[in-house]
Amino acid sequence: MPASAGTEALLLGLVDRVRQVDQALLEEVAVLEKPKPEAVVADLTRLEAHSSPPKRIAVIAGSKRQLRRLEEVSARAGWLITGGSADDQDAIDLSRLLLSPETHAVILGSDPVPGGDEKRHLQMLGALVSAAARSRPELAVVLAGGAAALEPLFLAAGSAVKLTDVPGARDADRDKLEDRGLPSTGPHSVLIAPDAESGMPAGSALQQVLEGLRSRADDSRLAIARSTRSLAYVLDRSIETVEVGLNGGLRSRAEPFGPGHRSIVESHGIMALGSFSPVDPSDEVIDGVLSWSTVAFDRQRLADRLLDLRLWPWGEAEGEGALLRLAAAKAAVSRLVDSTPEISLREMPDVLIAGGGIWSSTPASVVALAMADLVRRPGVSLLTCDQARMLGPLGNIPDEDERRLMLRDLTSDVLMSLGTLILPSGIRQGRSAGRMRVSGGVVNSDIDLQPGGIWSVELAPGQTATAEMDFKDAVRLTTRGKRFSLEVAGGLGGLFVDLRDIPLRMPDRADLKRSTWEAWQRAMWPEIDE
Amino acid sequence: MSARAKASAAPPPAYLRIAARRMLAVSPVIRFCLAPGDRSLVAPGQPIEAGTPMAERTLDVDITDAGRLGNNGAPPPAAAPTASPALPTPVWKSGPVPLDTPSPRPAEPARQEESQERRSPPVPGKWWVGGDERRGRAQGRKEARMRVAGTLLYELDGRWRVAAGERQEVMFAPTSGVVVEARNGIAITLEAAGAAIVGVLAGGTPSRGRLDVPKLVDGELGPLTLDVSKAGSIVVAGGRISAETLTRARAMNVRGMIAGSLGSGELRDLAASEARQRAGLHDLPSFGVMALDGHQTRPIASPILTLLTSLAGREVAIVTDPPLLVLDAMDVPLPQLPPDWVRVRSGPHAGHEGRWVSSAGLRRFKAGIHLEAANVRLGEDNDTTVVALADLERFIF
Repeated sequence: MPASAGTEALLLGLVDRVRQVDQALLEEVAVLEKPKPEAVVADLTRLEAHSSPPKRIAVIAGSKRQLRRLEEVSARAGWLITGGSADDQDAIDLSRLLLSPETHAVILGSDPVPGGDEKRHLQMLGALVSAAARSRPELAVVLAGGAAALEPLFLAAGSAVKLTDVPGARDADRDKLEDRGLPSTGPHSVLIAPDAESGMPAGSALQQVLEGLRSRADDSRLAIARSTRSLAYVLDRSIETVEVGLNGGLRSRAEPFGPGHRSIVESHGIMALGSFSPVDPSDEVIDGVLSWSTVAFDRQRLADRLLDLRLWPWGEAEGEGALLRLAAAKAAVSRLVDSTPEISLREMPDVLIAGGGIWSSTPASVVALAMADLVRRPGVSLLTCDQARMLGPLGNIPDEDERRLMLRDLTSDVLMSLGTLILPSGIRQGRSAGRMRVSGGVVNSDIDLQPGGIWSVELAPGQTATAEMDFKDAVRLTTRGKRFSLEVAGGLGGLFVDLRDIPLRMPDRADLKRSTWEAWQRAMWPEIDE
Repeated sequence: MSARAKASAAPPPAYLRIAARRMLAVSPVIRFCLAPGDRSLVAPGQPIEAGTPMAERTLDVDITDAGRLGNNGAPPPAAAPTASPALPTPVWKSGPVPLDTPSPRPAEPARQEESQERRSPPVPGKWWVGGDERRGRAQGRKEARMRVAGTLLYELDGRWRVAAGERQEVMFAPTSGVVVEARNGIAITLEAAGAAIVGVLAGGTPSRGRLDVPKLVDGELGPLTLDVSKAGSIVVAGGRISAETLTRARAMNVRGMIAGSLGSGELRDLAASEARQRAGLHDLPSFGVMALDGHQTRPIASPILTLLTSLAGREVAIVTDPPLLVLDAMDVPLPQLPPDWVRVRSGPHAGHEGRWVSSAGLRRFKAGIHLEAANVRLGEDNDTTVVALADLERFIF
């Protein structure tokens, strides 16, 4: 059901469908006999999550070096970026960024001890930003790192709020600034924040501040990151979530600190550019979609279709439109993966979750292939899809214990299993790499492992099997070796064995690249020619 | 509103799951962005008519050192005023006034208010007119001094820097309304007095003109001819506007164009052309374009075309933020629509219109995609067509 239909109409339709299929269940839920759908919709407790609309931050720095760092952190916090440095642009250009009504916040940052390249500009930048804040009281100002020394310039204009004054403001589990009484976008809100290198990974401390400043209270992406963290605790496994939506995208990873530990280590990046159709798509975005597309588009036509996808995100989800949406989603995930290198450095997660409406209407095996194309590290991973998009609302349960309890009960309903992905690296090209025997339940297959291909073995959801793999040369999978015996779980797509290169090596020529994608895609998506 | 859509029967609940498209916005709030060096000539709460000088833009803006101003050392005000309640003095030089706009009515503030404006302490955004500072002129040359004016940017070490220039142009209000907010160098927001047709994207500059709708042939727009007779008008151009049409329209002094769709390339070309003219400090005649549906080619929806046809000959305005065709009046003759009227806005049947028949539930479409669908009777067809629910839209006023 398209989200454009409106919440009430959707809920009514859903309840009506439940009534038609299982009247008893509806009566049990509503605690009424023959309840009317309208009454049920009005009475049900709601748990909501909404993606925060894109907001723009002006990133101001004294040097291009500092500007780049601040832009990276701001982008990971989900902001749209306009940036300028004093060594590159004059005060008029920088003022345009600050005074534009499209700009919601400004960050002025420097190293904790400003270097010579930026120190000489800081006073001027402080005066400029302070003047902009006086002209635009609604502009939220963040002073990061050594730029915090400019705080007195803002005190004259209004009350500054020191982040360090707020108890627990730098706690790792801090979710929202406003939860702790920080005025996120109120008049003259000036936040003193850590520099762009603080935290682990570098920049995460500032990222938290900027996320809180941007997000609405029930932000879906922060909620999905919280759900990912809770799932890692509940399942005691490493979880990676890749979510793509209209207003941005999320890549999140959470895992237990180590065997026997109850602490969860979490890292995530939220990007406005992680949208399948970003605001004002740049040439790089268009090129990215073209490079993943199996359809030959000219740039102009593709730009128009992408922009229309932003206007009507649920439109034309069939036929060629489905191929475009898939290419746009893969390009978005690719941008997310590029912007979160610290997650890519970790091992393949035990569970990989694909989230976002764009995957919901795509066949399961195609989603699995897309994940295999994009998240490429040697290992074995259970591929799942948050098809009903429940991780967002569940992540907005404020109490961590309650959220874990709910996820423990609902995991199998929330996460639709796509199948298990086996992804070895170090396969030599040109000859058979070995054999794989899958046995267990109703499955019994023997596969000659040819390098450069991807195979799927039918293994239904709920089924498990043992995959015995004999490689001719040592490869890297869970460890380095020639023989592996793996317990694998089934899914809608089955079991996937991917012997393609890590990272994928694709032809340079656009037509050859398209035909390569198409060959792999067609194997997983036979309905494509319908 | 003079009429309401005929609602002979209440629409079925499943019909309401189709995304609604609002055709009209009543008293929309419109924003006109300003830049450093630009100042507002209107004040919040002030009612203005179409053609009223609204802002003064500085074309050749550059950074200027204004030196020490006013009450240095005194504590600055807590916040910059949104705009002086007193109307600012218009200081634009005499220049040509566009023929198609009503003659400007320069604001005439009282002398006392003028002096109060001058005496107010310097704050960012305050209008400044240069004294001894003259850019680009050798010392001692005896030639007519050019006025340098702009807005205060920031103060550093007691000296103010100004975004100022020698050339200003006046921006006239494209429509009537009440000023909601006016801030130098930032934006003016206006609550329009009338209703407006809602578009999805727009380009160019806000403009005003007589609405010109080509004759309808079999309910569809006839061929578009652009000649000098269209000068000063806003032309309804059909499904899509090409780059050549835009160039020709601007050459014919057309004020604006409305179409079903507008390609991103055409919008980019238009923006680049305007930027070039601005860089050359040329006077830019106002020219706006608006698309009602998006970037891919679509015919204009029949209810909107009917509405536009009924408004032909009226003075209307295209504004870009948000994209609207403002009508200046509330008495809009609304088209009468069947209660189950739908339009296909995307997908293989894009642009077709018809009547909703029933819900089709979850259906399998091309490429094996399963989507919620509806049975729709398109055009004069007696057969029903299954269309994905997300590809449909219904109209509301």
